[in-house]
Amino acid sequence: MADRAKFLARVTAGLGRTEVLVPTSITETAGFEDAATAKVNADKASNDASERSSELTDQMAAEAAKAGWKVHRASNSEDAAGYIASICAQKKATSVLRSNHDVLDEIGVDLAVTTSGATVSKTEHSGDYSPYQIQESKNKAFSADIGITGVDYGIAETGTVVLHPRRGLSRLVSLAPPIHIAVLRPGEVLDSLDELFAMERNDFMSGKLSGSMNLISGPSKTADIEGTTVTGIHGPLEVHLIILTDD
Amino acid sequence: MKPLTLNFRSKAALTISDAQIQQSIEHVYTGFFNGRLSAADNTPDWEDLRTKGKAIKDHTIAHLDYYLGLLADNVEKNGGSVFFADDGEEARQHIIDLAYKRKIKTVIKSKSMVSEEMGLAEAMNDAGFETVETDLGEYIIQLANETPYHLIAPAVHKSRADVAKLLDDDYKDGDPVPDATELTMLAREKLRGVFERADMSVTGVNFAVAESGSIALVTNEGNGRMSTTVPRVHVAVMGIEKLVPSIQDLSTMLRILIRSATGQRISTYVTMVNGKRKYDEEEGPEEFHLVIMNNGRQKLLEDPLMRESLNCIRCGACLNACPVYRKVGGHAYGWVYPGPIGAIVTPVLTGLKDASNLPSASSLCGACHDSCPVKINIPRMLLELRYRTAEGSSDNNERASSAKERAIWKAWRMGMMGRRRFDIGSRIASIAMKPFSRNGWLKNAPPPISGWTSTRDFPAITASSLKSRLKKRNRGSK
Amino acid sequence: MPEKINTTTRPDRVTLFASCMVDQLTPEVGESTVEVLEYLGVSVDFLHNQTCCGQPAFNSGFRSEAYPVAERFIDLFEKVDGLIVVPSGSCAAMVRNYYVDLFRDNIQLTDRAKQVGERLFELTEFINQFFGNSAVSGKIKGSVTYHKCCHLLREIGVDEQPIEMLTNIDGLDFTPLERADVCCGFGGAFSVKMPDISSAILAEKLDFIEKNGSNTVIAADSGCVYQMQGGLRRRGSDVQVVHIAQILAASIKNVTTSEVKQ
Repeated sequence: MADRAKFLARVTAGLGRTEVLVPTSITETAGFEDAATAKVNADKASNDASERSSELTDQMAAEAAKAGWKVHRASNSEDAAGYIASICAQKKATSVLRSNHDVLDEIGVDLAVTTSGATVSKTEHSGDYSPYQIQESKNKAFSADIGITGVDYGIAETGTVVLHPRRGLSRLVSLAPPIHIAVLRPGEVLDSLDELFAMERNDFMSGKLSGSMNLISGPSKTADIEGTTVTGIHGPLEVHLIILTDD
Repeated sequence: MKPLTLNFRSKAALTISDAQIQQSIEHVYTGFFNGRLSAADNTPDWEDLRTKGKAIKDHTIAHLDYYLGLLADNVEKNGGSVFFADDGEEARQHIIDLAYKRKIKTVIKSKSMVSEEMGLAEAMNDAGFETVETDLGEYIIQLANETPYHLIAPAVHKSRADVAKLLDDDYKDGDPVPDATELTMLAREKLRGVFERADMSVTGVNFAVAESGSIALVTNEGNGRMSTTVPRVHVAVMGIEKLVPSIQDLSTMLRILIRSATGQRISTYVTMVNGKRKYDEEEGPEEFHLVIMNNGRQKLLEDPLMRESLNCIRCGACLNACPVYRKVGGHAYGWVYPGPIGAIVTPVLTGLKDASNLPSASSLCGACHDSCPVKINIPRMLLELRYRTAEGSSDNNERASSAKERAIWKAWRMGMMGRRRFDIGSRIASIAMKPFSRNGWLKNAPPPISGWTSTRDFPAITASSLKSRLKKRNRGSK
Repeated sequence: MPEKINTTTRPDRVTLFASCMVDQLTPEVGESTVEVLEYLGVSVDFLHNQTCCGQPAFNSGFRSEAYPVAERFIDLFEKVDGLIVVPSGSCAAMVRNYYVDLFRDNIQLTDRAKQVGERLFELTEFINQFFGNSAVSGKIKGSVTYHKCCHLLREIGVDEQPIEMLTNIDGLDFTPLERADVCCGFGGAFSVKMPDISSAILAEKLDFIEKNGSNTVIAADSGCVYQMQGGLRRRGSDVQVVHIAQILAASIKNVTTSEVKQ
């Protein structure tokens, strides 16, 4: 087995040195920002998101549509729920999986789904994370017709939905079912990736983040066959973004 | 993967005469190349981003030992394991051993050029593990038992009929060819079951982030997400150079990588993996392993004139811009990395002497340098490798020039070292060419010009040089 | 890109570096260059001892052979007062951008080369900087297009300026060439060393030229001119490929395009 010290010593030698040279320069990389500065930048990004909420939400809607989301601007909760119900009916969905984002309860997603004739279940095990339960959870996701989530953030520049899988929000709910519906509230939209990483930098460094973070910008796609773009190769063929209005 | 660089010229010739492949490869220009241009036009600070990207990479490589140590520390802090592999064999063996230890049955792979270097999929299948490529392009070439044709679109050379034959056992020559959607849905179906039963995944790394121990995966298909979600063991493999210092540097790199690769502003999925799943996550791998591999990059690192090639972020933009790549195709380059980046990296990593054709297979047009998101000066390195091929040390397995070639250039030099001999040489050539010349053009000349005249007319050397013409005109000749 | 002299003070005298190809293969390009410069009011000197800048050997990796030839070039041209003009982007690139690599073990020679490089201009670059793109205002009838030679474009940074010069000529019907900035496949010795690849790249270029429909292609580097003209002739095409110096000179003389080449 390659020894870490020897391995790294080779790299040091390759650079023409005998010792590691700890970098001190700050201009080339953002890596030297200390936690306090990071917090300041994070707060700036967060304030920007709330101050320009309306503008960022509009930009999100436009960019998401360009990226392939089917965007629906809901005038109120009933409208959002009705939209969800109609998708379920249209797709003849029998089983729907949802995360525990509270926005989904706010708009009454459970009722909307069951009204259309499908069953709805949450991605949550109530504390049992045994291999058996995890397998059950995966099976449920792979057999679901539709996955519904809120968003942790939206990113306006690219029409991106950010999800941090955690208890109550599985990784597969937005990946395995052929349709994913995401519900976004105003105030949740950041300007760009820069703002997202500024806000989350300290979290990344803390090691407290969940094992995976997903940035989703449209339906799954590929152009590997003759350069023709086809959606739904492994992930959802169709993704819907419901944007709620400030009431 | 065993290098087959000696076959460059014959493979190139085959590809040039293959009309179907020539048509298929066009997509890298009309699709990817134009996509990048359009994305760059729509990004107001594009040139600044390129400058920034280059600065980040220069800095990272200059302190590579420090950042690799930091990365390893943070991966371990998050509960992951780090394995340092000197070469591909060590890396491969470690992964196979791990699969045995964890009683793995099915392995899914997402796109990783480093895993191609190791020949991983083949070795794992041979070792008895069902190992399936999940990127559609990689899956297609795995079925075809071929190597990737392009960094981003591994099956770009395949026609729909080719793909139909590979995916559908019932398809025969002459059957109506299914469209791309049908074929893609067929692939989705076939790979679904594999995803559901996979217990280990091996992914690449687009960027590792040293300060947090995270890795970023950029995909459009979702196979990267599947690979980091469904199996209980996740192994990520990377070359030593594939990292950036901080999460905010990652933002810059993602902007230039994705636009340069396909012209998209962002790929459909960017997945940050921070290690194994937390105890209360609904699903996710129980273990995260990061394999950091050297495999000859030491030679690039040690070589100040070639070190810049380690800045490469594997976007494929240079391939898309290269008029040579678009004619000779990916397989001619004989190893994992095709195109301009392959032409400079493959000779150093696998041996310059056998790969000496690669740096020569270029008109030095510079389109690669122009298109590189981190401004790697590929032409300069091509010239450096040509120098070593021509006049390098034969002990170091570098020099590949023939005695004849060296004699030709010696004669050339002697002919250029004085005006009289320059003129006399030309007059002699002019007389010698007369039998071949018609209306001032040569239609078939003897060697060394026969290579030219096999496909093109060549201008005959004139009877009087510019010097004598200007003298005749009395134009202030000194 | 290393700096060259950044002034617009018009010289009244320059020294011509022909390039080995123009000197021995197509001296009419050198004559045209002189005619254009004289038209602009610039006298032209010609160092009759000149040969080559050394690029062919350098590009093929034979630096030990290129070195003395390049050193001879510096010996000769550093004695020149004032500016040097060459009707070739690739030669200009060799002197300004690559002599530093060739002479890297010799600090003094590198420095001397830098000084010469600062005073050396490619022809269209020279006209653009000191006289402007509408200075050569001749007249010719004809349909033309323009191929962007790679070294002139990417090493010297001359892009659309020659096109402006062409569209300024009365009577010329200019149609932009699709993929004008894609290489013609010449690449110096590459064209002979790997002729199948060079010809395949050329074939694509010629397809776009034929699609373009112009009867003349203009380019600013002789190697590219030979590559494209040689290929077009072999295809039996009537399309002419002409160095930009020639069309500028011809426009000054008010002749039609079909009489540009002898």
